[in-house]
Amino acid sequence: MSALQELSGLRREPDRGRRGRQARHGRQSRSAAQKGDNRAAAFFLAPWFIGLFVITAGPLVASLYLSFTDYNLLQDPNWTGWENYARMLTDERLLNSLGVTFSYVLISVPLQLAAALLLAIVLDRGLRALAIYRSVFYLPSLLGGSVAIAILWRQVFGTNGLVNAFLGIFGVEGQGWVSHPDYALGTLMVLNVWTFGAPMVIFLAGLRQIPETYYEAAAIDGASRARRFRSITLPLLTPIIFFNLVLQLIGAFQSFTQAFVVSGGTGGPADSTMFYTLYLYQRGFGAFDMGYASAMAWLLLVIIAGMTAVNFLASKYWVFYGD
Amino acid sequence: MRNIGHSARTGRGRRAAAVVGAGLVLALAACGQGEDPAAEPGDDGGTSADGGDVTIRFAWWGNEDRAAITNEAVDVFEAANPGITVETEYVDFNAYFDRLATTVAAGDAPDVITMGGAYPREYGDRGALLDLGEVSEFLDTSTLDAGALSNGFFSDTQYGVPTGANTYGVVINPAIFEAAGVDLPDQDSWTWEDFADLAAEISANTPDGTYGAADPTSAEVLDLYLNHRSGHGLYLEDGSLNATPDLVADWFTYGSGLMESGATPPATITSELTTQTSPEQSLLGQGLAAMSFGWSNNLGAFRDASGQELILMRVPGDTGENGSAMWQQASQLYTINAQTAHPEAAARLVDFLVNSTEAADLIGTDRGVPSNETIRAHLSEQGLEPTTQVEFDFLSQVSEFIDGDFVIGPTGSTESAGILTRLNQEVLFGQTTPEDAGAAFVTEVTAAIS
Repeated sequence: MSALQELSGLRREPDRGRRGRQARHGRQSRSAAQKGDNRAAAFFLAPWFIGLFVITAGPLVASLYLSFTDYNLLQDPNWTGWENYARMLTDERLLNSLGVTFSYVLISVPLQLAAALLLAIVLDRGLRALAIYRSVFYLPSLLGGSVAIAILWRQVFGTNGLVNAFLGIFGVEGQGWVSHPDYALGTLMVLNVWTFGAPMVIFLAGLRQIPETYYEAAAIDGASRARRFRSITLPLLTPIIFFNLVLQLIGAFQSFTQAFVVSGGTGGPADSTMFYTLYLYQRGFGAFDMGYASAMAWLLLVIIAGMTAVNFLASKYWVFYGD
Repeated sequence: MRNIGHSARTGRGRRAAAVVGAGLVLALAACGQGEDPAAEPGDDGGTSADGGDVTIRFAWWGNEDRAAITNEAVDVFEAANPGITVETEYVDFNAYFDRLATTVAAGDAPDVITMGGAYPREYGDRGALLDLGEVSEFLDTSTLDAGALSNGFFSDTQYGVPTGANTYGVVINPAIFEAAGVDLPDQDSWTWEDFADLAAEISANTPDGTYGAADPTSAEVLDLYLNHRSGHGLYLEDGSLNATPDLVADWFTYGSGLMESGATPPATITSELTTQTSPEQSLLGQGLAAMSFGWSNNLGAFRDASGQELILMRVPGDTGENGSAMWQQASQLYTINAQTAHPEAAARLVDFLVNSTEAADLIGTDRGVPSNETIRAHLSEQGLEPTTQVEFDFLSQVSEFIDGDFVIGPTGSTESAGILTRLNQEVLFGQTTPEDAGAAFVTEVTAAIS
């Protein structure tokens, strides 16, 4: 999408200029010039279109078909109608995985955004080595989804891990945090919050957009720092908050790597880290139940689309786009 | 977006569509070509090995040590078969079968695939494995023990070749028994109660962090326990589930009782260990458990990891009225991908691995005691390493107790291990009762195998 928008955005200005010239030169040269343009546009757009159809749209349609079949990966699928969808309603493990995923998303995303905003405000004060700080805080976002960090996490929160060593200093006897069903999901939430760098960078850019004059005027009127944050920063930042919220929400619903690596692919202990995507993967590739897994994928799509729609509807009431 | 709409009206779109269409056709053509050789495996297999260089892929699960000796053996094979290049790939057991399913579905599976347990049946019955009868010219199975060979024979087809025979037992660390002042059990009479009592006593007499036993819950142990209790294991011959809610609940009561008495570690440690399957990470390998159930071919790895003279004993309860239900089987089988482009080369590699002394010299008993009589004799002549000798002796000892009660699980039964692990965690963490877990196990496994 973004590549397309960029292209069309880039083209807008030259187009206008050309239209002016073309008006002077008459119809014939206009269509000739456009032909050349068209060819170039089609050429440059082709890779994206091929990607869309072959890599995205094709499998999408295929999975929709497979979701109505019994398909074990190795043999041809058999049409079973709505059976997979009906099965989902009574699948307790699926309902559990929805619960796990929703609590992960609804707890860790707001915390992550709060951390990102807080840090962005601190960094926005014109620190001298801002670029360095920004990079340092951004780093976890690059690494957070990686297998290496997930393995590191498992060690840090393990029975003999760093966290317990630290607690030991204060005489607190820790336990295996990733291997206890009450805490394992919590460690994954902490991991997600830790990757606040990406939204933070966007917040920073947003903060820079707020005109300094607003703050000066408010300061002259005697507004306190808290008041300035509440009445100037926050309202003007709501579009950015909204953008980050939508993006992180969609991303969090699809989290997979962390849970897969930390739990060794099991979603354990006792299904406490069984993300929806992980269960989908297990059904599809572990239990040879790809028809069911495809149906699950479509349910996830509907859920994410629904959450995003709710987000956009709700945005009318709290997002302030200024003038 | 507006620009696109506009362009479609002026005819830009048609040309764009043409370009896209051409791209699609090209891409599809490329796909078609990629699949071509796979579609007709029989045709060029015979000629390619003779005619030119072929490359085949060989996959297995295991640790670095296994990889080192297997790769050495493959090098020897390549030297003896100049036209064949073998690419090897291995991952740890937890990831192996997930990865395999993905590659098979994508038509990108290795040519020679290592399998185990009920997996050959899962894949064979779904048409993913080559009937080895088709390549018998290059792969001699007449040399192998009939018993082990039967583990790769089902649906009237020989799908797999045993890598070697294996059996199951209790791996014991005598040093911890000694430190705890506890006598070693008598394997000819010990019962499941004795196992629990011994483990609790050892835990009590040793420093914190050392345990009498690692948590024993696994599909193998449950199968034996059920057999000793009821005369049948998890499954019956006809592929149906024999385990009842009550019997499985009894196992969960037994297992959680071990934890409560301190005989086995707390739930968090047991749960942590389920994600760490290598011998080095196990309690036994770390020298922190006196007893642990395990496969006989892992003895060497456990010995290396712990640095202790570990020994093998027959499982408790195997002299009871219902018999031992012990088995001696190919815990691993070499199978060949039905879609392979080079069945001859793949068959030659498997033949080399199970029938040649050169391979045996390198691989030894890492994948079980070889099922080929000649190879066994060869290894014995060479003088066995002490660990291997222990394994050989244990295998021949257990062979006297094999009563044929053991049944390999039906299609879908590979899920039972995961179900058991999860329910066991729920019981150990007190999230559910043994009774509910027993009922859930039966319900879920029934659904998996139906």
